[in-house]
Amino acid sequence: MEFTTQLLYPIDQVLLAVMIFSIMFGMGASLTIDDFKTVMRYPRGILIGFLSQFGLMPFFAYGLAVFLNLPPAYAISIILIGCLPGGTTSNMFAYFARGSVALSIAMTTASTIMALIMMPILLELYTAEFTAALTSELQLAGTGAEFVIPTGNIITSLVLVLVPVAMGMFLRAKSQVWAKTAEDTAGFMGIIVIIYLIGTAFARHSGLMLQTPIEIYIAAVCVGLLGFLFGFWMSRLFRLSPIFQRAISLETGIQNGPIAFAIILLSFAEPVQSQMLWLAILYSTFIVITSSFITLYYRRVGKFDYEIYKNTTIHNRLFGDEYVSHYPDGFLPKRIEHDPSQGFTPGQVREKKQAL
Amino acid sequence: MENRIVAENMAQLFKRAAEQYGDLPAFATRKKELEWEPVSFRDLYNRGINLATGLIEMGIEANEHVGLFGDNRFEWILTDCGIQLSGAADVPRGRDITDTELVYIINHAEIKVAFAETEILAERIFKLRKKLPTLRTIILHDESGSVNKDFIHISEVEERGKQLRNEGDRRVEQRMDAIKPDDLFTLIYTSGTTGKPKGVMLSHANIISQMKVIPIELSCTDRVLSILPVWHIFERVFEVYTIASGVCTYYSSIRTLGDDLKNVEPTFMGSAPRLWESLHQRILKKVRESHPMRQLLFHTAYFLSKQYKSSLYFLFDKKLKTERQSMLKRIFLLPLHALRWVVVTPFYGFFNVAVLEPVRMSAGGSLKATVSGGGALPTEIDRFFNFIGIPVLEGYGMTETSPVIAVRTEDELVIGTVGPVVADTDVRIVDLETGDTLFPDENYPDNGRGLRGEIHVKGPQVMQGYYKEKELTENTIRNGWLRTGDLGMITFNNCLKILGRSKSTIVLLSGENLEPEPIEMRLTHSRLIEHCMVVGQDKKHIGALIVPDLDGLREFGIEVKTLNDAAVNDQAKKLIQSEIKKVVSPANGFKRHELIQEFALLPENFKNGEELTSLYKMKRHIIQDKYADQIEAMFNHESTRVK
Repeated sequence: MEFTTQLLYPIDQVLLAVMIFSIMFGMGASLTIDDFKTVMRYPRGILIGFLSQFGLMPFFAYGLAVFLNLPPAYAISIILIGCLPGGTTSNMFAYFARGSVALSIAMTTASTIMALIMMPILLELYTAEFTAALTSELQLAGTGAEFVIPTGNIITSLVLVLVPVAMGMFLRAKSQVWAKTAEDTAGFMGIIVIIYLIGTAFARHSGLMLQTPIEIYIAAVCVGLLGFLFGFWMSRLFRLSPIFQRAISLETGIQNGPIAFAIILLSFAEPVQSQMLWLAILYSTFIVITSSFITLYYRRVGKFDYEIYKNTTIHNRLFGDEYVSHYPDGFLPKRIEHDPSQGFTPGQVREKKQAL
Repeated sequence: MENRIVAENMAQLFKRAAEQYGDLPAFATRKKELEWEPVSFRDLYNRGINLATGLIEMGIEANEHVGLFGDNRFEWILTDCGIQLSGAADVPRGRDITDTELVYIINHAEIKVAFAETEILAERIFKLRKKLPTLRTIILHDESGSVNKDFIHISEVEERGKQLRNEGDRRVEQRMDAIKPDDLFTLIYTSGTTGKPKGVMLSHANIISQMKVIPIELSCTDRVLSILPVWHIFERVFEVYTIASGVCTYYSSIRTLGDDLKNVEPTFMGSAPRLWESLHQRILKKVRESHPMRQLLFHTAYFLSKQYKSSLYFLFDKKLKTERQSMLKRIFLLPLHALRWVVVTPFYGFFNVAVLEPVRMSAGGSLKATVSGGGALPTEIDRFFNFIGIPVLEGYGMTETSPVIAVRTEDELVIGTVGPVVADTDVRIVDLETGDTLFPDENYPDNGRGLRGEIHVKGPQVMQGYYKEKELTENTIRNGWLRTGDLGMITFNNCLKILGRSKSTIVLLSGENLEPEPIEMRLTHSRLIEHCMVVGQDKKHIGALIVPDLDGLREFGIEVKTLNDAAVNDQAKKLIQSEIKKVVSPANGFKRHELIQEFALLPENFKNGEELTSLYKMKRHIIQDKYADQIEAMFNHESTRVK
């Protein structure tokens, strides 16, 4: 599938830039220095999250590209999406999925910083064969150009994207009320712009949806789903508590879409740019739908363990750290009998030791 | 998880709860904002046994009436437990009880031993002792302060009991085994909105029947915030229900409620309409003060939720139906509502998550449902909370029915009604004038649904009668049917709708009848009006006594310090005059004779325990007596007229 016209008109590009700026600014406005400290409080969760975000996701993206035999530009785009850090959307979903919001925020924070190092390395590692294929395509077309991943540009765009985040954080430190307003306004604007962009993209390229081969859709939908699934199983394998499992699962599957747009716009040129953008748009659209369903599912299955977690936490908040909640025999299912979320306070730790 | 305990009496309930829930917290009392003291089910029961032994040693007989005067605190529930385990019954009232009531109740119930929460209250009772021939002992709850030698302390009784238990005293077990289902567990004197206190006799069977029929599921992981006075049956039944379900009750107070909602994050709460009104005002105020962008977001979210829920209610037949509706109309409207529902759902989903959830956080964020009782909940407030996603289950009951007659459930949430009648209970609607049954009666169309009349109840929760008031009891309960004195109807989707008090009906000089409550509810919903009472019995038209809301007046730029200032402030009068005219207007569905022609601003607020019952219901006769002069003056055209 070739793009005869540019996917985005200049006006759209400006709007997109505004959207990226406001969303990243809003993300910054929602972060505090304390969030960085939380990263230290959940080393295990963060480590496993890191493994699934920068280990599993890029690998699945690569696997999908190979398995579905995607055209090189799309392959690079899906791998790029796989290597992205998490965004603030996942924090909201984690909240409603009864997952640990603190861990979700900590993972977003950690992965955004780590992306500066990890993204160039991972892109270099996974895209090699596709850039080669692109180069030979370009040479067949007679342009004689060589396609390389613009690593420098990618790092620059990442840093650029972090500027509004830093500004947002600065605002938060100055005034919490304004930060809250900025966060909401940014979120609302982001949504309006994204609806507008998707709308116009579909309207202008009405045939585009039908022309797009099925593999592209599969890739766009599955990269998120695989992230959810394996993020969940991996954290389960490491025996993290259910609320952490749900947070890591969502954080792995939901990537920071605006960063993808920024990188593609700033670092890639036509003819690959439109194709890459199209996949990023598809991913951003489908991930909202899939994560909504996953969230509803997690919300249902997690109801019981979350209520116990919540009750135990509140007992400790009100009755002190020494208090240990004893539920009646057989009330707790086996699955959460040795729930790590219940072994944090001094009282719980002591009791655990005595039991052993 | 269905795990509530249904024991045969209250004493057994305490015992079984201790066995089943053991170390889980049963009650928690606030010391500081983040420092609460829990007491486990096991400790409660064990201490209850000690106290009961101590009480038996003091000479308390089975079925004796023990006074219990105090408000929500752990010692209250401990005392209740002790009294139940000793086979006696308690006579509870709050600290705000008046001296006249104390004398009346203690003598009428022949109380020998009374618990008092504070030293001040204990001293008040002690000073009245010449008028209290039966009273022998006063036991004090409060640990602090100097203990007068005229009273003994609850811990002394407990200590003595503990000693005896250790020596092998097992009289408590004998008492527990001897409790019969029809024995009283409590004798509640209702302050009532009319007349002298009446002792409502509730048996173990009465209260236990409620454990079977309450259609709300709670488990060990739930938290209930308690704010209403525990001696009132509406709160009391929840206390008993939380014990049966293994739920911890956290004692809060009006003053600390905002913080406690945030810290305890209750999953369930029962409260009076007044609280929902103030929470509603607080949320709206927060929205008004927020950034315009956030206001816009909130209003959009609320609008969407309204569309979404209205269609949902229509699709699942949960709309208030007071008249027969044609099938044809329904079939015609069904696809339209289905379409609206489909269109709105994704947007509602987004706004619900992004905007309404933070709003729900101001009520702790974990509330699964709330029950409103003890008075009618204004429809706007009812809708507001349901639309923002906090289901308000309005219930209906009275002390005489221990108390639940009907309550909405999450599946049967029809706004404007009090839900379906609870299990094992029969309700009939009776014509006030002829005494004929209107519902259920096959001779009427739809079995009598939609017809209004007095509500009569029959079921296991109906009281044994009024203590020592044989005639009154016979007037109230006939052939097992209790006359509630409330007007109501059964809607076409089988919910009970309350239409006012049959006794508060105002009959105008012209012979026209009107219910003051709907008008008052509409008026108190205004930001300018805190309380109001509609009067006009035997007058040409109606008038209103109004307690203005000072904050509301200030918002409109009228600087008044006290209600006294406001009462003589012409600006305030004018403002309220136009507000009344706007609110109670034919456009809002009021009939001509329901329009308020006169009003007076009162110089003082209504006080809890004086003009208001503990559930903020107005005691009409008291207000009428207190402001008799103002009412007369008002109708003699000396005050403001609403033109």
